[in-house]
Amino acid sequence: MKILAVEDDATTGAFISRGLREEGHSVDLVTNGREALIQATGGSYDVMIVDRMLPEIDGLTLVKTLRGAGNQTPVLFLTSLGSVDDRIGGLNAGGDDYLVKPFAFGELSARVSALARRPPAVEQEAVLRAGPLEMDLIARKVTREGVEIDLLPREFAILEHLIRRKGRVQTRTMLLESIWDINFDPMTNVVETHISRLRAKVDKPFDSELIKTVRGAGYRIDA
Amino acid sequence: MNARIAGLWRSMPLRLALGLVVLFSVVSLVGLAASYVLTERSFEQAIRADLSQRIAGFRAAPSAAALATLVETEARETDPERLALSYLAPNQRRYGNAVIARDDEGYHVLSLSQESPTLSGDYLALTTAMQGGQLTIARSLSEIDALRTVFLNILVLSLLPTILIALSGAVYLALRSARNVATVGKTLDRLTSGDLQARVRPGADWSGDLAEIGTKIDEMAQAQESSVAAIRQVSSDIAHDLKTPIQRVAVHLADLADREELPPQARDLVDRARSELDGVVSVFRSLLQIAQIESGTPRSGFVPLSLTDLVNTCSELYEPAASDSGHHLDTRIARDIPNVMGDRNLLLQLLANLIENALRHTPVGSRITVELDRRPRGVVLSVADTGPGIPEEESDNVLQRLYRLDRSRMTPGSGLGLNFVSVVARLHGADLVLRDNDPGLRVEVVFEPVAATSILGPRP
Repeated sequence: MKILAVEDDATTGAFISRGLREEGHSVDLVTNGREALIQATGGSYDVMIVDRMLPEIDGLTLVKTLRGAGNQTPVLFLTSLGSVDDRIGGLNAGGDDYLVKPFAFGELSARVSALARRPPAVEQEAVLRAGPLEMDLIARKVTREGVEIDLLPREFAILEHLIRRKGRVQTRTMLLESIWDINFDPMTNVVETHISRLRAKVDKPFDSELIKTVRGAGYRIDA
Repeated sequence: MNARIAGLWRSMPLRLALGLVVLFSVVSLVGLAASYVLTERSFEQAIRADLSQRIAGFRAAPSAAALATLVETEARETDPERLALSYLAPNQRRYGNAVIARDDEGYHVLSLSQESPTLSGDYLALTTAMQGGQLTIARSLSEIDALRTVFLNILVLSLLPTILIALSGAVYLALRSARNVATVGKTLDRLTSGDLQARVRPGADWSGDLAEIGTKIDEMAQAQESSVAAIRQVSSDIAHDLKTPIQRVAVHLADLADREELPPQARDLVDRARSELDGVVSVFRSLLQIAQIESGTPRSGFVPLSLTDLVNTCSELYEPAASDSGHHLDTRIARDIPNVMGDRNLLLQLLANLIENALRHTPVGSRITVELDRRPRGVVLSVADTGPGIPEEESDNVLQRLYRLDRSRMTPGSGLGLNFVSVVARLHGADLVLRDNDPGLRVEVVFEPVAATSILGPRP
């Protein structure tokens, strides 16, 4: 997909664009707000990555201006501030997601893919499928290879979240935000423990691994 | 009320005024008494001189008969109440307007007129032998008695109003200064508890001394507020300035980790460096967040929250992690816990910090109890563990930024957890109490419930 990255720090900018290019995306990197405004109005991008503190036109103003002009390209804000208020401020300005520096590339990549496919696949079906696994959303029943799996409500929610985003990596922080509505990073590996509980029921009794760990990024159920 | 009177009694202006009133009264009384004694004495001398003069006048009479006539003439014009004249002639006849008689009780003056035979009151009498008889002249001392009344009137009419005015003035001044002193005290309390925006702002009616003290305190608070703001700005700037370099280090390490030719030992080092960097980042984030909350994150974002939901979310989130690390995590929630005003994310983080603290600082097998209860003092959210606890003398220190107990230096953690908890609790107007759980630590956060009239339910 086509991505516009607006980042004034050369090292971070190079890191973002190189990483995304390696994943097969086409990336335009600009280093100030004015240039970004020109680029964004000219080209049609799938996703924009915007640093909040930019020379000339700051990130918030840039996105507000674009939104005012009817540009609906999904925006991921990058910030070095990082508190709840900044997050809400960024989202109010028209940002779609928010990432605090320093971040792991896996986190950025996962969030960019999530944004590009917004809104997430709204499947109205009563039954979700991932390979041999079936989720009956009405009966709240999960079966794999005909064997019924007994899940706790939260485990059910995590599994449903991963299946609805088949093929896309979900990071720890994305899961915390979606499943628990938590916008901070707990120091303890709480998400890992929930995933391992889920795996013990969904994967362990069977031959193949359905929930994959993506090193340095998060978890994924393959399409 | 009693306390107020006691406070008033301790106040300096009232004591000074009372002292002055007492001194003034004593001096006035002594002066009045002295002039009374002097006046009385000179009155008596005047009476004595008058009596001697009269006796001398009668001495001019050539014979007893002439003296008797003289006495009779004078007595006819004289009221015995004022002046008693009595002449006992050699022929034992009495002349005059009164007789001086003597009995066991002493001398009495008896009137010779029919209407009022006995005369009361004190008299000063002078008696002398004259022309073979005895002449006695007595003057009533009622004038001196009247003098006493005059002096008493002076006392009542001049001294009492003065004392009353002085006393009421003193009480007024004392009340005013007590109010001002209370204002100064409250301001100092707020400054001490960290509210650097507190000011005395002495009014125009303040007494000069207190107004000056108030102004000086305000100047001091202003200076302190500015320097704290400057320090906060500097630390915030440093943290911001360091974030980009930290991001770059993270980028370089990520690049290094991607090199396939990296020997396993070097890869191991890179992984360790990355995890150390994660720690640095998390300390920075916490410091910035604490600084931001302390610099007065607006409470306008506060909404009525269900602590029950919060506790359920957090307990459910940490339950698998707790049981993996060999801890027992229990949750006890009383029914009908009222909502509190707050920021959901900050309160979740507060509770998460307390649970993580308990997980980190207690040995395997310890029990951690998250409890939500309604008590008379408010809604109590508590996290108790059965670990080693915190020594009582350390319980204030552990709330400080970056403070760590000696025995915890080797365990992971930033030393910011409890400081964060205390800052968030203060933002929510909640009391933070560390107690001995016997054994272990019990941290209580006491919230004020939302007033019954304003319960709106949580934000969707």
